[in-house]
Amino acid sequence: MFMSLHESELHKLIDCIVTSHYDDCLDCESCARELDCLAERVAMGAKINDLLPEVATHLCCCRDCFEEFEALVAILRAENSGQLDAIG
Amino acid sequence: MLERNFFIPMTDRSNEQWLAELTGAPDAQARALEDLRHRLQRGIFYYLSRERSDLTHLSGQELGQMAEDLAQDATLRVIDNLDSFRGDSRFTTWATKIAVRLAISDLRRSRYKDFSLDGLTAEGEVLPASTGDTFPANTAPTPENATERADVMLKIERALREALTERQYQALSAVALQDVPLEIVAERLGTNRNALYKLLHDARRKLRQSLEAQGLTTDYMLKLFEE
Repeated sequence: MFMSLHESELHKLIDCIVTSHYDDCLDCESCARELDCLAERVAMGAKINDLLPEVATHLCCCRDCFEEFEALVAILRAENSGQLDAIG
Repeated sequence: MLERNFFIPMTDRSNEQWLAELTGAPDAQARALEDLRHRLQRGIFYYLSRERSDLTHLSGQELGQMAEDLAQDATLRVIDNLDSFRGDSRFTTWATKIAVRLAISDLRRSRYKDFSLDGLTAEGEVLPASTGDTFPANTAPTPENATERADVMLKIERALREALTERQYQALSAVALQDVPLEIVAERLGTNRNALYKLLHDARRKLRQSLEAQGLTTDYMLKLFEE
């Protein structure tokens, strides 16, 4: 049976179990409400865990939210460093 | 009258100024809308051109057109949602958050337009069949632990069959094993991302409890399959 499973798939399955948490979790909508404020601070060098650990927990479990958070932080960092000005 | 885009850079407004102008007199509103759209377009273009390795095949012109279209849609969405701005961040950051979500959603839908959940079922083979090498040579199981791995895999299979509902299995398989975005899976399941996240959260918790009840801790499994 296990020969039909990619090692990467097995690890993904185990990873998703490892990153599960027993407590009541923040959902995507609640996470999204905090992302702009959080992203601004992270773009300035703050650590998510120091600011909103429950959002950090959600971002570890939710690739969609994490992808959107990373994108927002990247744009803010580019803006803060003047890279967006070069775009025009 | 001076052409706005000629010498004057984009205006930095306070949050209050943005809100006042976007909902104010037509002239001020038009200027604010154009500044907002331009600002969002810059951010989206940066993201598409610098942060998306899957879009490197597109020309600068194509990316520019994508950014322009997305910024137009994002601006409309921002305006439709002005009432929900709480003022916790800069207005432009909040607007960029909306634009980012719209852009990424668009990219996800385009990438997974042909994705279907139909083949993902707990009936028959529970875990997906591979098409290539199952284990790289350096991590292939030794005869000593091959039996132990097979036994653990049977327990995982049992946990997947017995602990999860069909819907939970489909969702977990798509999101965790096939890396399909929640947003896409939620659409296919006829639900929303929030509800799907909760469904997955319950599925992962049940799976973990089922495996632990069979004596399988995550540390043990990770170690066994890393050997």
